[in-house]
Amino acid sequence: MNDLDIPRTNSTPAIVADPARGVLSMHGDSYPENSFALFQPVLDWVEDYLTKTDQPLRLELELLYLNTSSVRALMDILDRLEEAYQENRRVSVIWLYDAANERVAELAEEFKEDCSYPFDIMAKP
Amino acid sequence: MIEEDDEFLEQVEARLCDPGMADNPLRPILEDLFNRYRAQSRMLDRLVHIADRFQLAERDRGRKHQENYHRKVRQLEKIVRISDHYQHMMRELNERLHTLSTRDELTELPNRRYILERLESEISYISRNGGTFCLALADLDHFKVINDTHGHSVGDTVLTRVAHALEHDIRDYDVCARWGGEEFLILFPRTTATVASDLAERLRLAATAPVETAQGPIDITVSIGVTEFRPGESIDEILIRVDRALYQAKAENRNCVVLI
Repeated sequence: MNDLDIPRTNSTPAIVADPARGVLSMHGDSYPENSFALFQPVLDWVEDYLTKTDQPLRLELELLYLNTSSVRALMDILDRLEEAYQENRRVSVIWLYDAANERVAELAEEFKEDCSYPFDIMAKP
Repeated sequence: MIEEDDEFLEQVEARLCDPGMADNPLRPILEDLFNRYRAQSRMLDRLVHIADRFQLAERDRGRKHQENYHRKVRQLEKIVRISDHYQHMMRELNERLHTLSTRDELTELPNRRYILERLESEISYISRNGGTFCLALADLDHFKVINDTHGHSVGDTVLTRVAHALEHDIRDYDVCARWGGEEFLILFPRTTATVASDLAERLRLAATAPVETAQGPIDITVSIGVTEFRPGESIDEILIRVDRALYQAKAENRNCVVLI
């Protein structure tokens, strides 16, 4: 299982996957010119992890702004987690936001809508 | 039809079993025909059955496509909704940023940067279309004493109250900004010196009312300098002149308007 460590830029979030801990985290804004190039390795990593291990997977998100194609990519990841959850895998999401910007919490709620696995939306301490 | 067929088949079978038919030369032919017919009939049944299975499989496939299509449409609608939400959030953040960069935090009046931009566009408008404008610089009298005696918190209350009084009394198209410290700069577009002088006097009276503070009412007065734009001059030149008018008002015992 490979680690994933994509550094943060002005227009892309930091993306870190740690298979040993079973955690995939994304922090920052996401409006890359080519969302496919950014997120395909992430989707591949999730697929690989879910296929090759039977360990739990936790997605830690701290995202502020997403452009439309990033919204789509994130929904694909969340859908894949739902599929895994239906097959009795332990998956969960935790979305942290800045209490000064409640809008982000509302957006996280919209993403959560179709997910039946544990999905916590919490203000950063 | 099927019942009639069954009846006919029974009749043929009965004939074939009839001992009276045993020596009939047509019997073997009838038997052969009958067996062929039954084989063909069985084959037809199997074909129909297979064709039905294919139709069912096709129908299921069609349903799957349809479900998939509906799922994609729902997903697309959700993406659009979330994306709209993000755009809305960005617009709000932009507005907040705009307010932060053009407003004074304490008094919520336009700030120095904002009124300087307005002055530039006013001068550029006049250079193309003619006309005039006036500036007034208002300053709270003895503000340092208020601050030193009652503390900065009371000082802030006084500044805010005067700011609101000035903004309340200007016309819709005038601009009143916090220029810095206890100074307020007012732009009177399309206004001559005489009118501006009267407007400034009105503002002086509006601002000169006791301010209720945590430490009781405080009497305040303001001095105001007024000047009219002179064609061809720069922003700096008119600002220096309005400052001089204010200085003169201060020198003339304060609580008055001086026009230069």
